[in-house]
Amino acid sequence: MKEDIQRKLFDHLLKNKISNFVGVPDSTMKYFIDQGLKKKKVLITTREEEAIGIAVGMILSQSNSLVFMQNAGFANSISTITSLVQLYQIPMIFLIGWRGFLENDAPEHTKIGKIQPKLLQALSLQSMVLDEKSWKKSCDWALKLIRDGKSCALIIPRQFVD
Amino acid sequence: MIRKAAMVIALEHIEFDDRIIAANGFISRDLFSISDTKPAFYMIGSMGLASSIGLGIALKDTGRKVFVFDGDGNILMNLGSLTTIGSLKPKNLIHVIFDNSVHESTGSQPTNTNFVSIEKIAKTCNYNHTFTTKTKNDFEKILRKIKKLNGPIMIVVKIQKSNNKKSPRINYEPLEIKERFMLS
Repeated sequence: MKEDIQRKLFDHLLKNKISNFVGVPDSTMKYFIDQGLKKKKVLITTREEEAIGIAVGMILSQSNSLVFMQNAGFANSISTITSLVQLYQIPMIFLIGWRGFLENDAPEHTKIGKIQPKLLQALSLQSMVLDEKSWKKSCDWALKLIRDGKSCALIIPRQFVD
Repeated sequence: MIRKAAMVIALEHIEFDDRIIAANGFISRDLFSISDTKPAFYMIGSMGLASSIGLGIALKDTGRKVFVFDGDGNILMNLGSLTTIGSLKPKNLIHVIFDNSVHESTGSQPTNTNFVSIEKIAKTCNYNHTFTTKTKNDFEKILRKIKKLNGPIMIVVKIQKSNNKKSPRINYEPLEIKERFMLS
């Protein structure tokens, strides 16, 4: 996803009352994170589960929060998603970078990239893949879900190899 | 001192308006069985995350004190959170570790606090004040003292195993636990 769209994505979520962006960085969304750092709305944590815990605390204090991570971190987070976010029905948006989306991505991402859609489905975590044309519509879908008290995921595919 | 006895002392020094986050396992169950007049956030799963949930609340609910009731096995699973807490330095966070050096809920298998001091780690991670105590009198003194101190504060309370006196499970549904906590 291009730099200007990533920055707009951040601004759109902030404008729609997502007050906290907590997570572990991913180069797939580095401009999104940079935009949040500039506005002092980003909290970088040591692990993805920690990020989810902090965001849950913020949501329990009535402050809307998003958790961002790479899909390797999504795999780390599965138990926290089932036994905290879903168990207590916490309305939270996950923003997940999809490594292994391209077949020639680095080898450590191949397997998780391949099974990611199945993992989301197995967790019953509703998700939409963001693209440069309809990202705003997908965001509004996620914002509506959290207003209804549900958690969901927005996925950014990694469309380049470095 | 067993965990329940330590919790009874702690509760005497926690105001009604303060927040309590209780880690999963016997920590939540003991707290629930002692007193449920002030709704705490009782964790059922997600071991290790009490300190992180407490941090999130402390950052957003700055007018209230936030007490995290944690265990040694629990905090050892999320030591990274100490660096995040020590970097953000929430003044209203009080992190209590009930340290029996075992995973009591799963059959008392040993933890590394037999060899490593959590208090020293917290101090290195920039907690403003850290304490370790083994006695009821000393714990009470610390609880009185911290009323005038800024957090983050850690109190490691060395406790004995509770000898199979298991507190009952929490009889609220998770959704009820959340809603009671949010409304309190």
